[in-house]
Amino acid sequence: MIDPYYLQQLAIGLSLGMTYALMAIGFTLIFGVLNVVNFAHGEVYTLGAFAGLVLISATAPPVFAVIFAALAIGALAGFSLERVAFKPFRRFTDEASLKSRAMRESTLLSSLAVSIVVREALEIVFGSQMRSVPFEYLINTPVRVGPVILVTGDFIIFGVAAAMLAGLQYLLTRTRIGLSIRAVSNNPLGAKYVGIDTDRTIIMTFVVGSMMGAAAGILTGLYYGAIFPAMGFVPGIKAFVAMVMGGLSSIPGAVICALILGISESMATTFVSSGWSDMVAYGFLILTLIFFPNGLFGARRERV
Amino acid sequence: MNVSDLSAPPRGQGVLIPLLLALLVFVGLPALLAGFDRGYFYQIANLALIFVLLSASMHLVTGVAGLLHLGHAAFYGVGAYTAALLSTKFGLGFTATLPLSGLVAALIAFLVALPTMRLVSIYFAVATLAIGQMLYLVMLNWVELTKGPNGIIVTKGLELFGFSLSGRLATYYTVAAVVTLCVLAIGRLSHSYYGNALRSIREDDQCADAMGVSTARLKMEAFTLSAFFAGVAGSLWAHMTGYISPGDFKFSESILILAMVVVGGLGSLPGAVIGALLLILLPEGLRAFGDFRNIMVGLVMFLSILLLPKGLLGEVSALQLARRQLGAAWRNTVKGEGIGWR
Amino acid sequence: MTHLLDIRNVSRRFGGVLAVNDVTGHVDEGELVGLIGPNGAGKTTLFNLISGFTPLSSGTVSFDGKTISGLKTNQVARLGISRTFQNLRVFPNMSVFDNVSVGAVGALPQGALGALFGSFAGGGARSAEISRRTWEALEAVGLTHVAGELAANLPYGQRKYLEIARALAMQPRFLILDEPAAGLNDTETRALADFIKRLHGTGLTIMLVEHDMTLVMSICQRILVLASGRKIADGPPDAIRRDPAVLEAYLGVDA
Repeated sequence: MIDPYYLQQLAIGLSLGMTYALMAIGFTLIFGVLNVVNFAHGEVYTLGAFAGLVLISATAPPVFAVIFAALAIGALAGFSLERVAFKPFRRFTDEASLKSRAMRESTLLSSLAVSIVVREALEIVFGSQMRSVPFEYLINTPVRVGPVILVTGDFIIFGVAAAMLAGLQYLLTRTRIGLSIRAVSNNPLGAKYVGIDTDRTIIMTFVVGSMMGAAAGILTGLYYGAIFPAMGFVPGIKAFVAMVMGGLSSIPGAVICALILGISESMATTFVSSGWSDMVAYGFLILTLIFFPNGLFGARRERV
Repeated sequence: MNVSDLSAPPRGQGVLIPLLLALLVFVGLPALLAGFDRGYFYQIANLALIFVLLSASMHLVTGVAGLLHLGHAAFYGVGAYTAALLSTKFGLGFTATLPLSGLVAALIAFLVALPTMRLVSIYFAVATLAIGQMLYLVMLNWVELTKGPNGIIVTKGLELFGFSLSGRLATYYTVAAVVTLCVLAIGRLSHSYYGNALRSIREDDQCADAMGVSTARLKMEAFTLSAFFAGVAGSLWAHMTGYISPGDFKFSESILILAMVVVGGLGSLPGAVIGALLLILLPEGLRAFGDFRNIMVGLVMFLSILLLPKGLLGEVSALQLARRQLGAAWRNTVKGEGIGWR
Repeated sequence: MTHLLDIRNVSRRFGGVLAVNDVTGHVDEGELVGLIGPNGAGKTTLFNLISGFTPLSSGTVSFDGKTISGLKTNQVARLGISRTFQNLRVFPNMSVFDNVSVGAVGALPQGALGALFGSFAGGGARSAEISRRTWEALEAVGLTHVAGELAANLPYGQRKYLEIARALAMQPRFLILDEPAAGLNDTETRALADFIKRLHGTGLTIMLVEHDMTLVMSICQRILVLASGRKIADGPPDAIRRDPAVLEAYLGVDA
């Protein structure tokens, strides 16, 4: 019989992993269409959390309304991010410059700059300290499942994440916009020639990806009860690690690796103090880069 | 630039600007500082100088060799912690910790670079981010060694072979002298055929490889050298302020240094220096309006990427300037005998 | 007698495709050899196998008696094999002089310490040698008058010569030119042909990889023909011109 403690850590790890997975999908989608890393993705997560917090403090809405507010702000953030940090550097629309190194590096820097501005602006408005979520919104009511004590948050995160993954799957395979996202990922120039509006597709990709990131932010905020301007940085890196481990352009790969990462982290806290648990993600990243240059799920990899 | 610019400029012109700069750093500024005689101004001047060195050292790896480095502050931290620990645990003075800090930072950079240097572009950037964060976690969590978030108090001030240099002016002069020497060394490295080989990696690494340039080795050298200079800066910082803590070396500091290099113009050493001065002095000047330092770093960086993709002083114009100023080293006679960097 | 470049039973497989299939051939010191073949014949792959860009699946390549298959690209280059690229790969943000100096510094590496203490530790002599080689290469291709110009600002034709100068600055024993005539008009191609002949006249061994036969036929002493990854002919231009296998590969006629 497995020690219930480990089962509990496993459940916590899965919840954590699910939030990483939601974020990692955003990275993966954006990397797919533009071959760029969006360094401001962590700030979208933070914005989602703050959107929820503001709504909670203003009115006292039901939890699902909080999540919808986060999604709406996420969509808006994704749209503005694309217009501000990415569009101005997409001066030409041929494939060579769409995926060129210059474009990759300048958008990397511009999204980094935007992320600093957003984070610091949030600090100026809300202060850099942690803001706690009102008690009644915390999703940590204990629930007993056999020998293991879980909290409602574990179920909510799992439920919301699963619903969003299903929604994403539907979007990508059954809708026009999903079709165009996949087309642009595969071949931007070809997609353009067959009449797909590349620009709009890119915006939609940012919107969809950012909605998932913002959802991860508010869910984590409600789960841990702490929301602060710098909260997006570490999860952002972890989601990025999941993306790299998953092979960059594979959504299932990213999700599985995010779960592996979440579980390894929560297991690691059993053996080392929680201060060191971030080491797990960085270690995974370096090891993946060195030993599995194609990611664990071996998708194709370009020289980026 | 045409060939007439390439031919040897008059000697007098070649020394004018360096001479003026040296006068400014070693006579003008100290006179001003002594005139105002406020500790705060000395602090700012020293801080600006240290960041000039950090920015110049990042110029070597990011500007010249074209490797996006997102963990530079961690090597600065390694240098600072080396200096602090050597001085508190073994009673070593600044004279000894200065080179040792550089060497330890370089050694650690070398070790982490061994497996990661064949990565290219964004993978390299992300690997350096992870390395920087790992080192930061060590500073933060290895409490027995680093005292964790409490930081370390360094009681030994600046000294040179036993002579105390802890007065305000003496401290300034020491920092200025070390930074000047290091920046000159970096300038020499980047304006040489060695520097050209590094540039070729930035431009097209596969092609550089085909020209016989051992790209993996040179990347490693650039990374290690830049960590050495960052370590030296760390030692200056530790002895100058007397107190260090992990917060001084976190990710946002790496980004600050990167922003300096980007704002100044990637590939241009004068640009890196100007960028450092700008991003240190501007927020200090605007301090009266609140603490907007970090948001300004972000804004200035964003605007410069958008509006000045080549930075304030782009590489090409900086090279022309360097060649005019370093006329003695860059020469070309009629037949082309001896053209190039000496 | 050993050949300068000796290719023995070389193959390269990409997935299920044999891009180069059991090719054997050689180049002797002082020769000007052409390597031709229709599109997709495996010319560039063979060339990449020689220069170490792509690892071999089987076979050996040796240069001057030493096996070079398995060496890294930059090691192969330092042994004296230098190349140009089919799709112009100059370093755009560096001056013409600096571009060419990379070839020289590649062949004569200058270390960080050499660069720092050049004038004290004998590194000065190396720097002088690098600049001498650079300047010679620039003179050889006639680009001295634009030495200070940014490479990106040169017209297409001059960039071709810049690439050749960069390769020459390595002072190679064996120069491989990958489709040097691509994108040039007839006049420019003729000038290039003259230039290559002059280079060859200085004693340099050259291999010309070309898609188009005219240039190769007019200047090469010997021609290797690849088709579908196999060597189908090897001989002087006249023989190649009449070779039924070559005609078939190029024109698809049954001869």
